[in-house]
Amino acid sequence: MDKLKTGIKNLDHILCGGIPVYSLNIVSGSPGSGKTIFVQNIIFNSARNGLKSLYLTTISESQFKMVRHLQEFEFFSDDFLGDKVIYGDLGAVLREQGTDKVLGYLTEMIKRHLPNIVVIDSFKAIRDIFPDEKTFKAFVFDLAAALSIWEVTVFLVGEYEEQELTLLSEFAVADGIFHLYGQEEKRFQKRYLRILKMRGTNFEQGEHLFQISHAGIEVYPRMRPEGKELHYEVRPGRKGFGITGLDEMLCGGLTEGTITLISGGTGTGKTAFALKFLLDGAEKGEKGLFLSFEEPVAQLQDTARHLGWEMDRYLAEGRLDIKFISPIELDIDKHAFEILDMVREKKVERFVIDSISSFESRVSDIQKYKDYLWAIGQQLKRRHITTIFTVLNEDLFSPMVVTKAQISLMTDNIIILRYVEDDSSIKKVFGILKARGSNHSRALREYEITPNGINILGKLDRANMLR
Amino acid sequence: MSEPIENQIERYETLLREMWTASAKYLGMFSVKLLVERVVWELSLEYREIELLEYDQDGISCARIAASLKKNPDLPVDDMFAKFTTRYLKILARLLGHEKTEKIAKKLNEEFGRIPFDSKGE
Repeated sequence: MDKLKTGIKNLDHILCGGIPVYSLNIVSGSPGSGKTIFVQNIIFNSARNGLKSLYLTTISESQFKMVRHLQEFEFFSDDFLGDKVIYGDLGAVLREQGTDKVLGYLTEMIKRHLPNIVVIDSFKAIRDIFPDEKTFKAFVFDLAAALSIWEVTVFLVGEYEEQELTLLSEFAVADGIFHLYGQEEKRFQKRYLRILKMRGTNFEQGEHLFQISHAGIEVYPRMRPEGKELHYEVRPGRKGFGITGLDEMLCGGLTEGTITLISGGTGTGKTAFALKFLLDGAEKGEKGLFLSFEEPVAQLQDTARHLGWEMDRYLAEGRLDIKFISPIELDIDKHAFEILDMVREKKVERFVIDSISSFESRVSDIQKYKDYLWAIGQQLKRRHITTIFTVLNEDLFSPMVVTKAQISLMTDNIIILRYVEDDSSIKKVFGILKARGSNHSRALREYEITPNGINILGKLDRANMLR
Repeated sequence: MSEPIENQIERYETLLREMWTASAKYLGMFSVKLLVERVVWELSLEYREIELLEYDQDGISCARIAASLKKNPDLPVDDMFAKFTTRYLKILARLLGHEKTEKIAKKLNEEFGRIPFDSKGE
């Protein structure tokens, strides 16, 4: 089936290629939910592909105001006005001639302009003018039939509330339903889009985040772990940290393409271990990406210099990338998707997220957090990217709690960093709790972080230091 | 000797009826009427007489075209109906897909001879 490409970032991907042509689609949502911009973005993108659109306003927003607001967006071009994008006033016909003249007017407009797309904004306003539901229903049926015969893809825009979507007759006739809505979440006012129905094509169900910027609409598809069993090739290679002692305990390093959790209390050196892992890769010519939610690039550069590690050169040569996202700005719906885009684009072999605790703190729903991490984890494994997630353990002297959200279940390897008391001093020790499919040392070893890097010291042989 | 004009029109009327019935199976009567309306409108820019075609939910009739031919016997009816059929089938192919339209065109060809529908024409 032929599809109309919307040209909206990631929307065609969700729609498995686009909206089936000649379909009748309803774009619903409360006032201010972004319905009009959504449709305008589609018609201006379509104009760039040579398609003509007829945009009929009713009584919700005047053409003058609409065009004025649209000028803020990059997708808008006044070159298309009157040629590829034609505005008409259906409201005047409704007011002066009544509802029974609407179809005739529409047909005349179609004959005159031969558009590929017709938009009626707001369709809800037309519904309100009809005397009863039965007459309106008949009108919707006639409208749908007439417009499809003229090979037109239709968007009916309306201020419908969610509860109306299952009740009103136009939703039964519609081939596609896009529902746009917003909600307050962790201090963010977020916009979401759901496709409730799309005949003639598969589509990704669920709540997809979208944002409106100067570029127009950008959609961030909902990330969900796949239901089917994950099959991926386990490669025999090892990826070390370049830390003598640790690599030996791991029998050469982390197994290629696995996910490792480094869990530890504040100040135990989670970031330093993870950074060293990427620097060792960079040394060997393997591309690394460090995604930091806690320390900006300059701070990480300082840390590396303080530990005597070469980092600036690797950054300059592009063997290492650091992406910092402030925890204030962190929006898991958007960034989870962007993370995978970055990993794909940069052809990363080693990857670090520091830390997933910041991720967790930004999500209102713990199940959503788990879903995102599982989905990211699946994608990373499929791409054979050796990954480290760091996680904050708030119980400084106990290794028992790895993560609160049972994220440890999805990881292949777990390294615990913790403090122990030794008489009147505090020491740092680490141990490998798990290394899936691989031998590893069970010893707990002391380590220190010095201007010469991370030094692995002797075994912890005094059990009374643990409690 | 050429076929009398009344017979020609009758043959075209049967053809259009067959086409109507065959496509109504997929589109429904209401949409077929709309499709005929569209093709009539498109073709009327070239042949005004096509506007004399009568159609409603119950079917299609060429009676008024036949009457008009008595006044204007030079009307190129073969071209007009050939173009009507071609346009109709081309739009139908875009709406229904080529496979179903081919099936309709094939059936019409079996009964009425050469129907100018080229499935690769679009």
